[in-house]
Amino acid sequence: MNLALAALPAFLASIVEFVEALTIVLAVGVTRQWRSTLLGVVAAVIVLSLLVGVFGTAIVLLLPIAVLRLVVGGFLVIYGLQWLVKAILRAAGAKAKHDEAAIYQREIAAMRDEAPVPASGMDWISFTVAFKGVLLEGLEVAFIVVTFGASANQLGPAALGATVAGVLVLIVGAAVHRPLANVPENGLKFAVGLMLTTFGTFWAGEGIGIVWTWSDATLVILLAIYVVASLAAVWYVRNRILPAHFRPTMAATLDS
Amino acid sequence: MRYLRAFGAFWYDFLVGDRPELFVGAIVALVLVWLVIQLGFDTGAAGWLLTVVVLLVGGLGVITASRPKR
Repeated sequence: MNLALAALPAFLASIVEFVEALTIVLAVGVTRQWRSTLLGVVAAVIVLSLLVGVFGTAIVLLLPIAVLRLVVGGFLVIYGLQWLVKAILRAAGAKAKHDEAAIYQREIAAMRDEAPVPASGMDWISFTVAFKGVLLEGLEVAFIVVTFGASANQLGPAALGATVAGVLVLIVGAAVHRPLANVPENGLKFAVGLMLTTFGTFWAGEGIGIVWTWSDATLVILLAIYVVASLAAVWYVRNRILPAHFRPTMAATLDS
Repeated sequence: MRYLRAFGAFWYDFLVGDRPELFVGAIVALVLVWLVIQLGFDTGAAGWLLTVVVLLVGGLGVITASRPKR
């Protein structure tokens, strides 16, 4: 149970972030040089693994569990709410959805403006862009792996969940050789946001002295409350806030 | 100094981002419920109070983010 709980959020978050990283990597590799691009990817993965290993282990070993749960839970609530608010806005139509195909075209255009690829040896532009892309997207995953893994004392399964997702995206990306535009990124972000907020509330609550009424089973109730509230928020933004902001604009247009 | 500023800016963007009300709101929620517990409020009921306050913070985030910037 604990193993799946730690691995699932890391797995889902990793799918989203690695799909975004894959778009950058493909754009660089196709337009410039694959060898340097892949070296950039490997370097970023090594840095991310070190970050998870060092920080994850240090946090587990050095921090008392109550402090750990308060700090980590607090961060998870903040982070979860950020993911959730964006997902709600996208689902309601108040924010543009992530378009991997459009991002891919933009990245390709940006790469064509760069200096030409060297005839031999390392192409540092390919290396740097791929390294930065994977590192920045992967940092969010590393953060989730460390926080979830440390709080649930399941750092290994959380890291495994992220790794499996990374390998899966890599295999599919290599097979189709184009951005994975059909992955339901917003749905996944919605799910991850809900999980982070749920576990964050639970752990941070324990950290400040809350005794949850139904112990671990409270997690299911918290999740259900957040799901219902989020769906209500999507409905409210779509049917109340957006039309209310359209009306004055239309009225002003008609007046003029 | 430049690297220090960039490091700080990175973490600010990473944790606070474009929705500072979520960052501040979550911290206020935890401090508020902790204070209530210290004043003798039931530790079981405090859990549901925290849930409600987190919902309010999220709702505030949704409402402020969905309104057009002036």
